[in-house]
Amino acid sequence: MTEAVMVPMEHGLALAAILFSIGLIGVMVRRNIILILMSIEVMLNACGLAFIVAGARWGAADGQIMFMIILTIAAAEVSVGLGLLLQVHRRLRTIDIDSASRLQG
Amino acid sequence: MSGLQLQALLPIITLSSLILIQMMFIAFARNLRLTVSISVIALLLTALSFFPMVDHLPISATPLIQLDGFALFYSGLVLLGALMVTFLSYDYLRDQGERQDEFFMLLLLSCLGALILVSSNHFASFILGLELLGVSLYTMMSYPTRGLFTLEAALKYLILSGVSSAFILFGAALIYAIEGKLGFTELAGMNHTSAASGQFILLMGSTMIFAGIMFKLSLAPFHLWTPDVYDGAPAPVTAFLATVSKGAIFALALRLFTTTGLIDLDPLLRGLSFVAMVSILAGNLLALLQDNVKRILAYSSIAHMGYLAVAFVVAGKAGGQIMAMEAASYFLFAYFLTTLLAFSVVTIMSIADHEVDTTNLGDYEGLFWRRPALAAVFTATLLSLAGIPLTAGFIGKFYIFSIGVAAEAWLLMAFVVIGSGIGIFYYLRIIFAMTKAPRTDVKIEIPTASGWVAVVLTVSLVLFGVYPSPIIDLIGELMISFG
Repeated sequence: MTEAVMVPMEHGLALAAILFSIGLIGVMVRRNIILILMSIEVMLNACGLAFIVAGARWGAADGQIMFMIILTIAAAEVSVGLGLLLQVHRRLRTIDIDSASRLQG
Repeated sequence: MSGLQLQALLPIITLSSLILIQMMFIAFARNLRLTVSISVIALLLTALSFFPMVDHLPISATPLIQLDGFALFYSGLVLLGALMVTFLSYDYLRDQGERQDEFFMLLLLSCLGALILVSSNHFASFILGLELLGVSLYTMMSYPTRGLFTLEAALKYLILSGVSSAFILFGAALIYAIEGKLGFTELAGMNHTSAASGQFILLMGSTMIFAGIMFKLSLAPFHLWTPDVYDGAPAPVTAFLATVSKGAIFALALRLFTTTGLIDLDPLLRGLSFVAMVSILAGNLLALLQDNVKRILAYSSIAHMGYLAVAFVVAGKAGGQIMAMEAASYFLFAYFLTTLLAFSVVTIMSIADHEVDTTNLGDYEGLFWRRPALAAVFTATLLSLAGIPLTAGFIGKFYIFSIGVAAEAWLLMAFVVIGSGIGIFYYLRIIFAMTKAPRTDVKIEIPTASGWVAVVLTVSLVLFGVYPSPIIDLIGELMISFG
């Protein structure tokens, strides 16, 4: 009975890979800094999902612990990002990343 | 946990508790001199706390941390770099208004991350160290309120570094899905899994980790962020990014790829050779087009990372591993001295300017007449970067060259030679600019701390260029206890 409801690991990994790609495309295409930060969050959460799927395969807690570490990291990363965003907004009155680009390519 | 294992964690414990003490002092008795003194004491005490365990190497304290000679050497480099950057930032930030204290706490936190990275033996500690290093670094970059450039550099670095961390994490998840293990030692020999689908996922995973690490090391074709971030970030922070951050990540990569046996994976090794060649060529050629000292140094660091990658490739060939690690370690040591010295000159030049750093080649014109000592120091650095004899940079490059020849990697060696040849041209360009007639007579003040940093680094640069055997012997002794 339990066999029937098990999701194969490859499907979980494929879902994570799709989420990861969506996040990556978001980072590359979007010009709004908030949306870029959100895309990074999507990528990091895709990694978390992959770890959980892998952890479920091995029946070990490692995957879930890694997920918690990823949650913490993502929170730290994005909070610094939002702090920088506030600074950019205060000085430039915009959150478009191209307008913040003063250094030559 | 035994006493020995606790001892192995002592440096991390020491540094973390001193960071807490420093935070308390900043909260209740804000005083820049005091904060900086605590930073210096913290770094020195951490360095001291390594000594009791020297006779017991290697020690693995918990599955996460592995302390061996290799980790010890790189920890020393990290602490040296952090100490120098502390002095430089003190002079740089001192006159820029109040509330500069937290910067030094972030510097120590970043250093803690680097210490964890160089001794990490598990994906969990790898990620924790990497992010501790990275997140503190973005904050340090945007800390000084100098115009918009710092902000832009920090934002760019944050986004790209976040993406590369995600790559590394996803790769680790894929490897975990196939192998069920996260420790580097336990993963040894994992590339011999038989199932074809597992083999594919493993290759995907290792490629993603590889790409993430290349991003952080700014190897071509993932180098696009480097010049902008180097240019925008405050000079002392750039020095930290170029030395401590890259050095720690390189050490981690070397440990990860050699202990897990990923380096034997043929597609990966071929990719790495390609990356090394492209980095050497792109770094050196693009540096020719620049008129900004920090950007030239950025491209030169891309090229230098390319030379380091050569050592990495040789490490993957049979029998060359220990030799390659010794060469990489000496090269990195020379790179640390040289880069720190280069950025200490840029820092000294920039202190008087409160808007942006003084980095245009024009600003350096006539430096030989305005401040002969500073110009001489900068000349020594540039010669070391170019790999001219009597400097540490020459010995480093010679070492890389000798292992390449021993491993018969002729194509790579051709690139190293061509790259070094092009390199001399743009380093000499800066030196010629310094000999021109000066544009202004404004006196350049050399602050005490930065001045001493420059003196110490110049002396060691020349000393270890003329008489490198103490360091070479030390590296040889320490690398024996690897693993």
